[in-house]
Amino acid sequence: MEKWVLFVKGILLFYIAGNYVQTEEVHYSWVMVSFFVYIALNVALYLVGRLSRMFLLLGSIILIVVGSIHGYALLLLLLPFSVCEVFDGKAPHVIVLLVVSLLPLFFFDIEPFLYSASAAGSCLLWKMNTTYYCKLVANEQQLDQLRSHVQRLNVQVHENEEDRKQSQYMSRLEERNRISQGIHDHIGHSMTGALIQMEAAKTLMMVDQHKAKELLDNAITISKEGIEDIRLTLKNMKPPIEQLGVQRLKQKLDAFTRNTHIKTSFVFSGNLDVISALQWKVISENVTEALTNALKYGNVTEIAVSITVYNKLIKVVVKDNGVGATKLIKGLGIVGMEERAALLHGTVIIDGSDGFSVTLLLPHERS
Amino acid sequence: MNVLELKNVTKKFGDFIAVDQMNLFIKEGEIFGFLGSNGAGKSTTINLISSLLRLSAGDIYLLGKNIAQHRRFAKMNIGIVPQDIAIYEELSAYENVRFFAGLYGLRGTELKKHSEEALVFVGLGDKMNALPKTFSGGMKRRLNIACAIAHRPKLIIMDEPTVGIDPQSRKYILQSVRQLNEMGCTIIYTTHYMEEVEEICSRIAIVDHGKIIAEGTKEQLTNIITDTKEVWIEVKAIGSFDAEVVKQMKGVNSVRVEEHVVQIISQAEVTNLHEILHYMISQSLEIVSLKEQAPNLESVFLTLTGRNLRD
Repeated sequence: MEKWVLFVKGILLFYIAGNYVQTEEVHYSWVMVSFFVYIALNVALYLVGRLSRMFLLLGSIILIVVGSIHGYALLLLLLPFSVCEVFDGKAPHVIVLLVVSLLPLFFFDIEPFLYSASAAGSCLLWKMNTTYYCKLVANEQQLDQLRSHVQRLNVQVHENEEDRKQSQYMSRLEERNRISQGIHDHIGHSMTGALIQMEAAKTLMMVDQHKAKELLDNAITISKEGIEDIRLTLKNMKPPIEQLGVQRLKQKLDAFTRNTHIKTSFVFSGNLDVISALQWKVISENVTEALTNALKYGNVTEIAVSITVYNKLIKVVVKDNGVGATKLIKGLGIVGMEERAALLHGTVIIDGSDGFSVTLLLPHERS
Repeated sequence: MNVLELKNVTKKFGDFIAVDQMNLFIKEGEIFGFLGSNGAGKSTTINLISSLLRLSAGDIYLLGKNIAQHRRFAKMNIGIVPQDIAIYEELSAYENVRFFAGLYGLRGTELKKHSEEALVFVGLGDKMNALPKTFSGGMKRRLNIACAIAHRPKLIIMDEPTVGIDPQSRKYILQSVRQLNEMGCTIIYTTHYMEEVEEICSRIAIVDHGKIIAEGTKEQLTNIITDTKEVWIEVKAIGSFDAEVVKQMKGVNSVRVEEHVVQIISQAEVTNLHEILHYMISQSLEIVSLKEQAPNLESVFLTLTGRNLRD
């Protein structure tokens, strides 16, 4: 856009120069000096800071006025552009700009039509320039915002993935721990017991057959129990994710009640096993967000949280008894909830018609 | 082939978001049901599809063409039956149809022929020259439909076409919807009457607060909630009933007996009621009452949104 400004100034200069050559006016030196100083000043505009720029612009206005009085009157055509430039980014209404640039008409002797045309052209161009510039800046800003937003989301995706791996690893560790504990505590003991009994039976075999048989029977019973133990240990291998998730959510709600004196209730039904660690994370984050919202806006005394697992779907509802909202405006919080849900192919329904309720629907992960 | 495709369609009225990033496709030959309570965003979506409202964001494709760029094409291939009856009471039935078909782009003899055919199709062939102000509510609705189909559109959108009419007209309208479908029209049908959707729609989207929260065939939708159904059979005396025998029958998950009532839970898609009853009668049990509870769209809607359709 600066190129345009320079281009138009150049055209004006050429026009003035052309006209000057055809006239018989003489103030040769004045005109030449005005020309060169004007060019110098206007090129310098782009090399200096804001304050110096103002001085340069004032300088070129004075130059134009003086030049047109002592040299060649048509130099005044350059004036409107410089006046516009003084306003810089804070462009007033284009009419105001035009009126200001037309003022010299009353003080100087110049062809009114030509001057008006030049003033109008300059003002329009300048207005276009600034509008364009403002839009450009706004767009850039928006682009930056979006970029940082994308960045944030990427980080979040990454974190979630990490989290999932982490919790998978943790639950495996816990599991291994539990199994080795179980083997040590039960199976190891019964096997040792059985072994001792059998050793004794072997020794007694020749001496007291009756006693030996008793010992062997014992060993058999102990072995059977051992096998049962193995079966139980293996059967109880259910991952603790479910208990952990419910437990955490309960603690969170309890803490919330303690801090805010808002009553909370929590119910769940269905097979919670299907909820994965990552889903628990999203559920927990969204419930937290919903609680915060209720606290901020709702005039709330009670909040009910429920988790229901259906055949293909997990439904989490956080509902309060507050004033609700007839008109919903999506703030960052709600958008955040939606984004987290969308990450797991779920949706969020917000309803403010009866209290305020936030429903999170997540499909099962394996389907 | 997708007759209609919505990509991230959004409509805002000021701060209010009426349609929220809706994604949807409708295949050729479908009767697609749009199910949602009042104010869910159904009509707004339809007005967006028919270009009556301008999109805030997103794209809509009709037969692969973006409707924002192919307005005339869209106009000629979509027929709309609006929610509020839009006919001129002072014009005859035939003139009404002729007028609207003309708006959609028909001319000359084609216009005349198609207008007459449309009227015959909706059962108003003998009332062509009568004025609509002499019509019943149901007849006006049918005329409304004739106005929308005379130009033979590929896609017909019906926005609650059965609101406030007598059962007979309703039956007639549902029947003509099916007929239009058989003739090759793809149909979008919005309603908050569950029974109609269950009866005629091949695929259904449940809409709430401007979002599609579930979408699929009736079976797919009910399957979201549960894959089981329950039957309660009350008998006079439990007598020689053996729960184990019923448990062995196909699809049965569990059997419980409480005094005189037998509760059987079985897989939703298996039909085994006949077999169960046959067994009970063979044991000479006297059946007093029978109640079946299979999941329906109403319960799906209630479960997903927490509200009734007609709230």
